[in-house]
Amino acid sequence: MPKYKDMVQPVRATDEEMRHIHIDPVPDDEKCEKALQYLDEMRKKFRSFVLAMESCVKCGACAENCHTYLGTKDPNNIPTNRAELIRKIYKRYFTLEGRWFGKLVGAEDISLDIIEQWYSYFYQCSECRRCARACPFGIDTCEVTFVGRQILHWLGIVPKLHAHVGAAMERVGNHTNLPKPGIVDTLEFLSEEIMDEFGVEVPFPVDQPAEIMYIPSSADFLLNPYTLMGAGMFFTYIGASWTIPSTVTEAGNFGLLFDQMFTQRHNVTRLLDAAQKLGVKKIVWGECGHGWRAAKMYIPTLADRPVRWPITHLHDEIAYYIRTNQLKLDPAKNPKPVTLHDPCNYARACDLIENLRTVIRASVVDFREMTPNREWTFCCGGGSGILFDDPEMYQRRIQLSAKKAELVRATGVGANGDGILCAPCSICKAQLYPMVEEHKLGVEVKGLVDLLGRALVWK
Amino acid sequence: MPSINVNGVEIEIDEDGFIVDPDQWNEDVAKYFAQVEGINELTDDHWKVINYLRDYYKQFQIAPMIRKLCKETGCSLKYIYELFPTGPAKGACKLAGLPKPTGCV
Repeated sequence: MPKYKDMVQPVRATDEEMRHIHIDPVPDDEKCEKALQYLDEMRKKFRSFVLAMESCVKCGACAENCHTYLGTKDPNNIPTNRAELIRKIYKRYFTLEGRWFGKLVGAEDISLDIIEQWYSYFYQCSECRRCARACPFGIDTCEVTFVGRQILHWLGIVPKLHAHVGAAMERVGNHTNLPKPGIVDTLEFLSEEIMDEFGVEVPFPVDQPAEIMYIPSSADFLLNPYTLMGAGMFFTYIGASWTIPSTVTEAGNFGLLFDQMFTQRHNVTRLLDAAQKLGVKKIVWGECGHGWRAAKMYIPTLADRPVRWPITHLHDEIAYYIRTNQLKLDPAKNPKPVTLHDPCNYARACDLIENLRTVIRASVVDFREMTPNREWTFCCGGGSGILFDDPEMYQRRIQLSAKKAELVRATGVGANGDGILCAPCSICKAQLYPMVEEHKLGVEVKGLVDLLGRALVWK
Repeated sequence: MPSINVNGVEIEIDEDGFIVDPDQWNEDVAKYFAQVEGINELTDDHWKVINYLRDYYKQFQIAPMIRKLCKETGCSLKYIYELFPTGPAKGACKLAGLPKPTGCV
């Protein structure tokens, strides 16, 4: 483990862990039948999925646009071929030609091997949607991965990492199992750190009545101190009435990545409960790519009530304050060369592109664009929670980040070993911290609000 | 579920080699994991990190922010990697009997 007939697979959740996230795993002898039933339900529900099943002409434009294929050279990682793993089943059971002519038209009977193939390949796709950007038909292969992962979840096949995160979200409202006392202790520690380093008093209100509810990524509490510090410094600088809700210290929503039907909805409900309880006027989102997609694009349809609060991203807020000259910034406080990694979900799902540049240009001296960038950005290789660290999957992560490494190197920011790779997303950070070492890029990984916080000039 | 045998006591571990029940931890368990992690000898600095992690976990049911761990123990991150080659989360937490950190870490 974790290998199945020469395919890499992430370590999977045990049956007991699946029950924690409300799934009774389907026994092997019923899996095929159940998978078909779920596939039938999904195809009737999602036209985006049917479009991918019916319209692809195998032109191959997606191949060279997929960092997973470029890094692994495994033909099954070409987006259209990955979709084919499910398309051949779709054809066999849900199309006339497939039912009549079977293999002659590329249809295939479902089997346990096929399901295991789904598990391997749908968890090598990072749902980054660069292939969708390149597809002349507008097929969004990410929708196929969504369907594949959802069916696997219902069958009881989910990576241990994702299952643990799902259970933690329900238990404490964040991905890392961080309870309120730990949240408060960490924030008090960061207040002291800010005082020591920047000489300003920055309180982090928790569960206080306020106008702004700030949703940080829980990884910031363990790994990304300057991301939390930067956000706190920004809110303090503008004199905001703000608070962090202890019940939702999570900008991410792994439900988007493996179970949109329950896990993702549950976290939306939790968020809206917190906003209602604290009586806030606005919700501001922290640095998390998939989580911002889940918030901006999915909350309106997943909410179980009218959403009365505007939901904005921290960097949209900061960019507004910069454009209106309300922040005094000294870029010289960030003198090292910096390049920006556009998180896929910001760039291709949320149009959070130019505001990132407004913030970075105002905060650093030497900003160098990576090419390609913006909506043509390549994924860090960890997208959709491919952060597995068992030896086989870790090796795969190195391959999946190879394209990004090549692009970072081409900017020259790490040439003297003192570059900064700005990656304003927690999954990107968690992936890139070790990967910049593996690829010897000579850069340090930082968030964007980290740089902004450092550049603030206090009165 | 796999298990390890330390001084005749069977202790359950998960697929990543972390102990399942933090209450089953004792110093011999830490020494056992040290061998697994390729650490020849547990020095005072190792114990300082392990004990800090255990105390923090007892109080807050979570591992501390890495920056806080460094500050409170006086060990730089680089030094912690020297002490625990697989790092603070996967190495030090394992020896201290904490659950494996989850999420985007």
